[in-house]
Amino acid sequence: MEAFNLFKKPQRYIGNEWNVIKKSHENKIKICLCYPDFYEIGMSNLGLRIIYSLLNQYDDVVCERVFMPAQDYIDFLKKKNTPLTSLETKTALYKFDVVGFNLNYELNFLNFLKILYLGGIPIESHKRDNLVLVGGLANPEPIANFVDIFFIGEFEEKADIFINILRKYKDKNSRLLAFSEIDGFYVPSLYEATFVNNKYIFEKKYKNAIFPINRVYLKDINNSFYPTNWLVPYTQIVHDRAQIEIARGCPNHCNFCQARFIYYPYRERRIDVILKLTEEIYKSSGYENFSFLALSASDFSHIEELIDFTIFYFKKFKIGISLPSLRIDDIVDKLYKKLLANKKTSLTLAVEVANDTLREKLGKKIDTRKLFEAAYILRSLGIRHIKLYFMFGLPYEEENDILAIGSFLKRLVEATNIKLNVSINIFIPKPFSSWQNFSMEDINILENKRKLIFKNIPRKDAINVNVALPKYSILEAILSRADRDFYKVIKNIFLKKINPQSLDKNSLFEIWMNEMKEEKIDYMRYLKISSENFPWSFIKTSCNF
Amino acid sequence: MVKDKFLIKCKLYKSSDMIYFSQLDLAKILERALRRTKLPVCYTEGFNPRVKLSFGKALKLGVEGSEEVTFYFLKPVDITDFITTLGKQLPSGLQLLPIKD
Repeated sequence: MEAFNLFKKPQRYIGNEWNVIKKSHENKIKICLCYPDFYEIGMSNLGLRIIYSLLNQYDDVVCERVFMPAQDYIDFLKKKNTPLTSLETKTALYKFDVVGFNLNYELNFLNFLKILYLGGIPIESHKRDNLVLVGGLANPEPIANFVDIFFIGEFEEKADIFINILRKYKDKNSRLLAFSEIDGFYVPSLYEATFVNNKYIFEKKYKNAIFPINRVYLKDINNSFYPTNWLVPYTQIVHDRAQIEIARGCPNHCNFCQARFIYYPYRERRIDVILKLTEEIYKSSGYENFSFLALSASDFSHIEELIDFTIFYFKKFKIGISLPSLRIDDIVDKLYKKLLANKKTSLTLAVEVANDTLREKLGKKIDTRKLFEAAYILRSLGIRHIKLYFMFGLPYEEENDILAIGSFLKRLVEATNIKLNVSINIFIPKPFSSWQNFSMEDINILENKRKLIFKNIPRKDAINVNVALPKYSILEAILSRADRDFYKVIKNIFLKKINPQSLDKNSLFEIWMNEMKEEKIDYMRYLKISSENFPWSFIKTSCNF
Repeated sequence: MVKDKFLIKCKLYKSSDMIYFSQLDLAKILERALRRTKLPVCYTEGFNPRVKLSFGKALKLGVEGSEEVTFYFLKPVDITDFITTLGKQLPSGLQLLPIKD
């Protein structure tokens, strides 16, 4: 490809990053990792980086990458009548033995199909010879007919057996049978899923297939693989930092949270391992900014020691290290003096709701009173804006909870004089969260609540608010809770070849609604709890809520 | 005061795939490459220290060509060694050349 100057951001398609791995394809198991979003977003994903480097550790495996191209690039491929290729060796996607997707956001289902299509791979499982593997999804059922294997859990744990099966079996069918016998691999074509008498019935069609499906997780985080040969893009990505995962999972128990299940159980990395990784990645990448990642860094047992090390590295290597998930009460009570040496300009707080009583029902432990008392501390830390996350449409929510959002913001601006960027989302009862068995709030009630929120938000320059659209959240709820029947809707919409980026959210919603009507899918079945179980009930997790 | 008495001026030649990278991208590429070399570079002051670099007239996007770059060091660094050491950390398509007087 020589015509890179035809596209916006051609750096997305070049694949010449520092530490990129380019191998010959001869006698290799060929795997391509795909990400159903743009390069800048996909390259910020830690999971993709771990699996990319991990698979390339095997001498007889070559692992390359593909990201969702932008429309100008898609138009170019169509005009040239040429398939989408991998970044590393510009190999057409259909030539890979295994095409793996990191798919953790349901609204990317169409991008997932589009990448297959552009890569010359039939979208339906039974029409192709390649193995299409999807990981990261809580409820696999709505796309079960497009996928050969779902991986349920954390891949590091099963990488060896994954490669061994690919070495041992060469045709698709024997590979599928072999995978179906291993924990963590769900081969949907080997199971029958039906909805009878208000219940999802799930039966295996192959006697040795695992049932129920067990989610697998990494047992030893201190000796697990971590990518130290850090890929350094030559252009800015969304999170333009090297990432060190300091803990996986979350010890808290928020009822609305799906991440607690996806990353269960809570595991901490030892400090000496964290420091070794930091030094190695600095030496291989030269990155000037690092993030110490955890779902809740405040809960890390040795957080104060870790902050001391961020100061040490700042002096030693001149690098900035951010801890993105500290709780405000911890900052105010014990951490702020240490944080002074490592200033940051923004603070992110998921307060979820404005009233303490409702927040207790959510199981969210955060003391917002500290926030109002902390104006001096926040200013001395150099914080110039606070990003706040709220939710509405929650179980147990009353009108005064909705009204309280506006007054909360007003009081906060008055107390701190700091700019607020506020994101107000709608509660979705996500599969495997503790509140998966609550119904999604009715769309008209959500619309009214949204109006009420807006009405009460003080009109001040210092407050910038974005409130989610009920229609879009309903669509997300349907896509995340749907069953196997739903694939027809996804397929039909895909075949319409609409470009979701060219449509506003309302029109996109109407397209989905019309298609559901056409296919006689009663989507209320996914939104209102009436059945005895869920489409995803066959997946067992060790996470006991 | 930052001691930046020791300067090296070079030409940075941009060709092949690297012509698509902007001036901002090039500055980051050089900074990270320098950090990997462990050469005694100078950093800017403040909470976000950056490797100190200065550029001559910026190159156009999508076009092959060269521009002047000044590197700052705390200790004297031999220019030939420097070009070899940093050169190893640069992507193909970026090349350092001495300036001929």
